[in-house]
Amino acid sequence: MVALVAIVAVLLIVISAVQTLKIAELWAINKGKVIYEVTKKQNKTQALLMLVFLVAYFAFFAWQVWKWGDLMLPVSASEHGVVTDRLLNITYAFIIPVFVITHIFLFWFAYKYAYNPNRKAVFFSHSNKLELIWTIIPSIALTVLILFGLSSWNEIMTPVDSEKEHVLIEIQAQQFSWNARYAGTDEKLGRAGVEFIEGVNAMGIDIKDENSKDDKIVRGEIHLPVGVPVQFVFRSIDVIHSAYMPHFRAQMNCVPGVKTQFNFVPSITTEDMKKITNNEDFNYILLCNKICGAAHYNMQMDIIVESKEDYEKWLAEQKQFAEN
Amino acid sequence: MSATHHHHEEQDFLFKYIFSQDHKMISKQFLITGFLMGFIGMVMSTLFRLQLGFPGESFWAIDFFLGSWAENGVMAPDKYLALVTMHGTIMVFFLLTAGLSGTFSNLLIPLQIGARDMASGFLNMLSYWFFFVSTIIMLISLGVEGGSASAGWTIYPPLSALPQAIPGSGLGMTLWLVAMAIFIASSLLGSLNYIVTILNLRTKGMTMTRLPLTIWAFLVTAILGVLSFPVLLSAALLLIFDRSFGTSFYLSDIYIGGQVLEHSGGSPILFEHLFWFLGHPEVYIVLLPALGITSEIVSTMSRKPIFGYRAMVTSILAIAFLSVIVWGHHMFVTGMNPFLGAVFTFTTLLIAIPSAVKVFNYITTLWKGNIIFSPAMLFSIGLVSTFISGGVTGLILGDSALDINIHDTYFVVGHFHIVMGLSAIFGMFAGVYHWFPKMFGRMMNNTIGFFHFWITIVCAYGVFFPMHFLGLAGVPRRYYTNSEFPLFDNMLDINELVTWFAIVAAFAQLLFVFNFFYSALRGPRSSQNPWRANSLEWTAPVEHIHGNWPGEIPEVHRWAYDYSKVDENGEYVSGEDFISQVVPLGPNEKDGGH
Amino acid sequence: MTSITLNNNDYKKEIKQKTAKPLLWIGLMSIVMFFAGLTSAVIVSKGTAVWETIQIPSAFAISTVFILLSSLTFYLGERSIKNNQLAKAKVFVLATLVLGLLFTVTQYIAWTDLYKNGVVWAGSESSAAGSYFYALTALHLLHLLGGLISLLVVSFKTIKEKYNAENLLGVQLSSTYWHFLTALWVYLYLFLIFIA
Repeated sequence: MVALVAIVAVLLIVISAVQTLKIAELWAINKGKVIYEVTKKQNKTQALLMLVFLVAYFAFFAWQVWKWGDLMLPVSASEHGVVTDRLLNITYAFIIPVFVITHIFLFWFAYKYAYNPNRKAVFFSHSNKLELIWTIIPSIALTVLILFGLSSWNEIMTPVDSEKEHVLIEIQAQQFSWNARYAGTDEKLGRAGVEFIEGVNAMGIDIKDENSKDDKIVRGEIHLPVGVPVQFVFRSIDVIHSAYMPHFRAQMNCVPGVKTQFNFVPSITTEDMKKITNNEDFNYILLCNKICGAAHYNMQMDIIVESKEDYEKWLAEQKQFAEN
Repeated sequence: MSATHHHHEEQDFLFKYIFSQDHKMISKQFLITGFLMGFIGMVMSTLFRLQLGFPGESFWAIDFFLGSWAENGVMAPDKYLALVTMHGTIMVFFLLTAGLSGTFSNLLIPLQIGARDMASGFLNMLSYWFFFVSTIIMLISLGVEGGSASAGWTIYPPLSALPQAIPGSGLGMTLWLVAMAIFIASSLLGSLNYIVTILNLRTKGMTMTRLPLTIWAFLVTAILGVLSFPVLLSAALLLIFDRSFGTSFYLSDIYIGGQVLEHSGGSPILFEHLFWFLGHPEVYIVLLPALGITSEIVSTMSRKPIFGYRAMVTSILAIAFLSVIVWGHHMFVTGMNPFLGAVFTFTTLLIAIPSAVKVFNYITTLWKGNIIFSPAMLFSIGLVSTFISGGVTGLILGDSALDINIHDTYFVVGHFHIVMGLSAIFGMFAGVYHWFPKMFGRMMNNTIGFFHFWITIVCAYGVFFPMHFLGLAGVPRRYYTNSEFPLFDNMLDINELVTWFAIVAAFAQLLFVFNFFYSALRGPRSSQNPWRANSLEWTAPVEHIHGNWPGEIPEVHRWAYDYSKVDENGEYVSGEDFISQVVPLGPNEKDGGH
Repeated sequence: MTSITLNNNDYKKEIKQKTAKPLLWIGLMSIVMFFAGLTSAVIVSKGTAVWETIQIPSAFAISTVFILLSSLTFYLGERSIKNNQLAKAKVFVLATLVLGLLFTVTQYIAWTDLYKNGVVWAGSESSAAGSYFYALTALHLLHLLGGLISLLVVSFKTIKEKYNAENLLGVQLSSTYWHFLTALWVYLYLFLIFIA
């Protein structure tokens, strides 16, 4: 019944719109207008709207920055993140002026050069000089950005030197949770694979491998020592997931059949970050960032960064694999 | 060749309209089908925006449209993923590739180069009907058990290979692959025609450098298609083998549903490489025709030659060339060799250069022009704005070190929607408004057009600009709801605002739909050259003729951009502010532009 | 809307003469890219996966001989038509068809040989190398099937003497496609040796 009424209503609206339009056209023809030409008045209005839009667009941009600027991520909680955040700011310093200036030219010219029958447009069809200028200047700017970006990238993607002190953690992703395994005192992770998954051994660790014995499996939350490089190894046992730790400016896909790695040095403890963000309930978080199935939106694990002593205390309390 | 006026009622309705081999009819077929699919894609996005803006709330609209996919008016999480997958697939391929290229390449190529029709009307007809069939299959996949494909429009395996991982990866995914295989065939058939027609069937005097920029754009787009769509086909084929025959091209070491699968030795990353080898050129296949259309309209409506014609052609070629060697920027965080990542960062940032050149040239075309703000012109100016806005964020995403923290977040969603969902669709709208008289012999209503443009651009920026902030705050894409993480509690207001803008934008498109059909059926009849433009299509009679021109095909004597050309005394050379391409050069006149 | 049509359809014929070959060439380009995709898939896989060494059945070598011969006969057949030697043409074209069918048969034999040697396409016993072996050759054969259909039509028309020196576009198109399939096979065969 409701549907019928709705359909009738829509039809009535459409019919009245059609009739209104017809009437408007006949009236215009009657007045001697060519009905499909853009009139002088309309042209002036549109030109003005160009300027109005320019201002409104910039205002919208500014409003968003003002309103949401402090909802963005806090200062980087990893050492390399400080570098990439700086690179981001440098990039903004390029693109925001470009964005502003080109828009001003675009909408200002549109407004200023609206049609005037007493004026002739200028037949200016090309200028090699101009083309060179605005090819070379962007090229130089981009070269700077590229060089900056690549040196950061290289550093970030280099695995931790195994000789240096570091924490070695394997994160295993599955639909829809995370498991973590710390390499024990032997600083090696035992072999693991899907063929070993059985019952409690959800991570598929090979019991027979010597290196597995002192590995420590952790669920729900992982702890990291501040100031110590953390080397992550990522696996997945079903589909592609992605380990995303935004506060640390860290992300790496977890791919079934392929091991991936990422590393960073945590630089701010959870307690300190609570003070910085003025949020008692703050927690670092690991979330899934590659579409992985129905509950992709709720695949999370907490990350606690604490002092080295606190970390070692916590680690000592975790059970070794051999004890399970 | 002389024309004989005799009415062809004898020509079967079937062959005149349904299986037409006339490029003008085929272009309309692509347009209607493309827009229909676009409408469906838009309804999908409005529905999942309701879920994102008001998570978990019950809506009549969700219940009405989604039926069993939603319980009590709330969509199921896996069906949310089905919707985003199909939205992406439909918009990228069915609306912006087939709809955009199919319409305008078909309409404009023969008319602008001076040909009777495409090289092969038969292949052209097949191209449309394959497209139609793939549309039907894609739509059918929405109704099958388990739902449609749900692994994102990028359909990475193993998620897309295993029905145990998500229901849509069963029959729905199979139908998706079948539909896309047929779609690829359609696209290739179209591209063949476009390339050969442009290269071989130009009229006398139509040298390559006298071609309008639309033709250059369509040519390069078609070449890109020929080079990249077959690779998608190979990727899809290997996926079909993995799914249905037990091969292990992409799959290895999988434990799911309580058992270890037999697949061994494959890598999902291989799929990503093959997919994105198409996927990246694909977005330029989407964008280049829109850029070409903009060149035409900005020039015509400013009464000025397009600034830097040769630079524009070079940019199109440069963009196309570079687009083939940047695909890895979609894969920075897959664990690829860092050196590869560095190479892709380098090539990706390079694309900014020809893109910037195009933007500067559009703006310079406006400078000291005499601008008429038809709705087409508004959308073209809008395209330049959105191309700038969306393009600059590409510089952040293309930088591998920066991409680490924003890959697969809303930052990416904002970026690609602004360049595709805005720029490309604006190009399509502009093209429709501008060439409507050529397609239907009637004019669209300008007032409705003005409202359509302004509401759309304001609301569209309202939808997609805030997404950059969401992304920078760490909000991932393809999340059913952002309410499960305390980290994102502050983001819920932004989501709601975005949804409001999306709803208004969606309804605003009804203005266009109304305007389109009203004008096609009862709009005021247009003159032969209502925009007073130079290019060849406006020299063909308003009523459609098979073979386009009643007598000889006109001969071309100049390029397409002699607008406001003046002599030494500052007087218009032709007495008015445009000179058609068919007008021979005067005794002291040089061919414009050089 | 009145619809005025040009009286003569000659322009369609003229367009066809001018554009049929370029259309085919671009089509061949897309097939090249299809196999280029598969080629790079093999190369990427070879770099990452455990790679089984495969013994190439000799039947593939025999296939190669057959298809090379068939290209030769088709070339001779086309030349005969150009010289209006229709009797010779019939012989050569039919020989091409026969050789094409022999190619198909030897492909099948090669597959059964592979299977006997334990190289399986899919399932738990399969390996990447084996899967690609079957996939590449089968996909080539699929394209060849199209070539055989075209060849059938050409054979039929040659026997009916529908072609002559002025009217041989169909033969040229078919033979171009056929030579392409031969070249593609030679490339694939060498590639298979490389990946085995």
